[in-house]
Amino acid sequence: MTDALHRLVRTPQGALGAGALCVLVMLCLLGPVAAPYDPEAIDFLGRFAPPSARHWFGGDQLGRDVLSRLLVGARTTQPLAVLATLAGTTAGAVIGTLSAYLGGRSDEVMMRTIDAVMAIPGLLLALLIVSTLGKGGGNAAAAVAIAFVPGMARITRSVALSVRRQDYVSAAIARGERGTWVVMAEMLPNVAAPVVVETTIRVAFAVMVFATLSFLGLGAQPPAPEWGLMAAEARRFLHQAPWMMMAPAGAIALTAIGFNLLGDGLRDALNPRDER
Amino acid sequence: MMAPILQVDGYTLGYRTGGMARRVLDDISLHIAPGEVLGLVGESGSGKTSFAWAVMRALPRNAVESGGAIALAGQDLRAMPHKEVAAMRGRRIGMVFQDPSASLNPALTLGRQVTEVLRRHRGMGTAAAYEEAVAALRHVGLQDAAGLMRRYPHQVSGGEKQRVMIAAAFAARPDLILFDEPTTALDVITGARVLELFAALRAETGVAALYISHDLALVARVADRVAVLDRGRIVEQAAASRVFAAPQAGYTRRLVAAVPRPDRTLPAGTPGDGAVLAFEDVAVTYARRRLFRPAPAPSASGIGLAIRPGEILGLVGESGSGKSTVARAATGLVRFTGTLHHAGRTLHGPRDMDRAYRHAVQVVFQHPDASLNPRHRIGASLARPLRLYGGTDADIPRLLDQVRLPRDYAHRYPHQLSGGEKQRVAIARAFAATPQLVICDEITAPLDVSVQAAVIELLLELHRAHGTAYLFITHDLNLVRQIAHRIAVMQHGRLVDLQDTTSIAAGAGAPYTRALIDASPLPVGDSP
Repeated sequence: MTDALHRLVRTPQGALGAGALCVLVMLCLLGPVAAPYDPEAIDFLGRFAPPSARHWFGGDQLGRDVLSRLLVGARTTQPLAVLATLAGTTAGAVIGTLSAYLGGRSDEVMMRTIDAVMAIPGLLLALLIVSTLGKGGGNAAAAVAIAFVPGMARITRSVALSVRRQDYVSAAIARGERGTWVVMAEMLPNVAAPVVVETTIRVAFAVMVFATLSFLGLGAQPPAPEWGLMAAEARRFLHQAPWMMMAPAGAIALTAIGFNLLGDGLRDALNPRDER
Repeated sequence: MMAPILQVDGYTLGYRTGGMARRVLDDISLHIAPGEVLGLVGESGSGKTSFAWAVMRALPRNAVESGGAIALAGQDLRAMPHKEVAAMRGRRIGMVFQDPSASLNPALTLGRQVTEVLRRHRGMGTAAAYEEAVAALRHVGLQDAAGLMRRYPHQVSGGEKQRVMIAAAFAARPDLILFDEPTTALDVITGARVLELFAALRAETGVAALYISHDLALVARVADRVAVLDRGRIVEQAAASRVFAAPQAGYTRRLVAAVPRPDRTLPAGTPGDGAVLAFEDVAVTYARRRLFRPAPAPSASGIGLAIRPGEILGLVGESGSGKSTVARAATGLVRFTGTLHHAGRTLHGPRDMDRAYRHAVQVVFQHPDASLNPRHRIGASLARPLRLYGGTDADIPRLLDQVRLPRDYAHRYPHQLSGGEKQRVAIARAFAATPQLVICDEITAPLDVSVQAAVIELLLELHRAHGTAYLFITHDLNLVRQIAHRIAVMQHGRLVDLQDTTSIAAGAGAPYTRALIDASPLPVGDSP
């Protein structure tokens, strides 16, 4: 694993992506400390203050410092997105591998169910789940996780099908291993590389879906300094104070790009045959 | 002596990987006279295919040629401009590849692929090229040549595809043809027919050829002279008959000694009475039965076979004859009809295979790369059967000793081992369960001859030490005649013959068995 990390940092995309990830982790850890103002302190004199030396990214409609809100908001946005993605992709990977291992009728039943769920667009499904479970960050995370399962299961199954035909899986079955061992120890580690890559790409999606849910008022609730919510609130003042929109939108875009680059880098680094 | 068609002097080639240049061909000097066939023999990684690509001027981007000359009929190929090289390929140097299904374009008809050669290299019109192509196909012994012209590669057999490739190579009337293992991907009998065709065409056209193969016995039959390549260096060049009879270089001597010879049987003890595993009317059908379709043909049917304790039973057949299916049925990897008998129990399917059965019957697969989990260390792979069948991790060093691998290999990953070493690990894993029967499914097929000899030696040693029975599945009749007590022969999913090895040597056996023996290349150049 350490040499995989080493290889990752040696590719330009990998280095950039890893760098972006480090910055995000720092933001989550140190954001509240680094924020120059209280993110929820209202300042009537500073309403719609343009970016200046005092307020680097300007002030919003209530005079709250946008930079402070951005820094503090990293903590509510990022870990939830990563967590939701991890939950969704892990569940999807296990379902996909299991489906490929069992084959035959069980495979058919699982995959057709997945197809049925996939027929509903991901965002729509997430909306459906949130409106059923109720508003709030945790429910939004669950919605994103569930929405990611079908796609992930499909991807994993296609990789797992080729792994299923490998002799080491046959050898394990011929040796009399239990199904759980074959799926978890023999097959899953060998489908991990594409799953990990897909996961990093999906983190970027998750950030955007969260932002969308918050934007629609179904995720974090005001006055929480969540990036998507900030963008949603800024929409009304787009002409009056465009910086209000630019800051959170830019942060979301940079996060997405960072995770995408990381995914590209990981794809090359996790290829065991590639030993350069 | 006439001027040589191909003259190579001091040619050196390397590949650049990760900033380091790795040398693959070192100071190669050879020549091929008009009408001569030069055999180039070497094990995998010896650089023989790289040499073919160097002559074709189709080297990968990271190739570094650090000296030497390649001349085709006196013309320096290395100095030839790009445009002329493109015109030369196919026209003056033809090439026939190892795998005919991979070298024909699946989207074009066979006819199109032959006529294209004629139109491009001999400037023929559409009608003339068609006539000539039909004639060329008929010439390589294909029935219904006109019908074949309209067919696609997937609609014909492997042997027919290779004949089409040969027809296309000869159609351009080249000065030199490169054959890169043209029969390796074919069945024994089909391969023998292709070789006969090659001999006939050669006698007729007098074309010069470079015949590349890992099979010394085969090359010695096909070629006039043989060059032996060892890790990028030519260690010996001699007349084909002499290489076998009186090998000079140490490497060639080792290679000749490793070639399996049916007359050199290796002692393997005498089998006991009874049966460790018996097949009774076993049949396997892979495809599911579908509505409104005729029932699919079984891959193996009516198999009745009993393996005695401590016996080495050879199971021989061509690819697709169902011999691996028998192994998969006995290890419970496919559903079967009929019954298996083991230790007084009758098994009707994979569900009946309990711990005791799995303990007694172990399997080693063909491809060592695929049979070890690439993400598990060697130690972890060996630990599983030990834990399942009453051993401890402390036995791992003993297992590694048994297959002659260093003990610290337990901490390595499979990709850090060579093919032969991986196969030793797979054998150690099978023996970790102290089985009564080990099924060896083509376990030496992907290995080089010298590695194969070492693996066979190891198997026999384990056989002597533990008295384990083997079901030894292979397509190599010469090899199995060396080690087996009895030989079973399969054809089209059925058992057609079962003989003692000694009676096969005495000339007994079904007609198909005799055909297989005749098609297996025997070492030539021996004193008769």
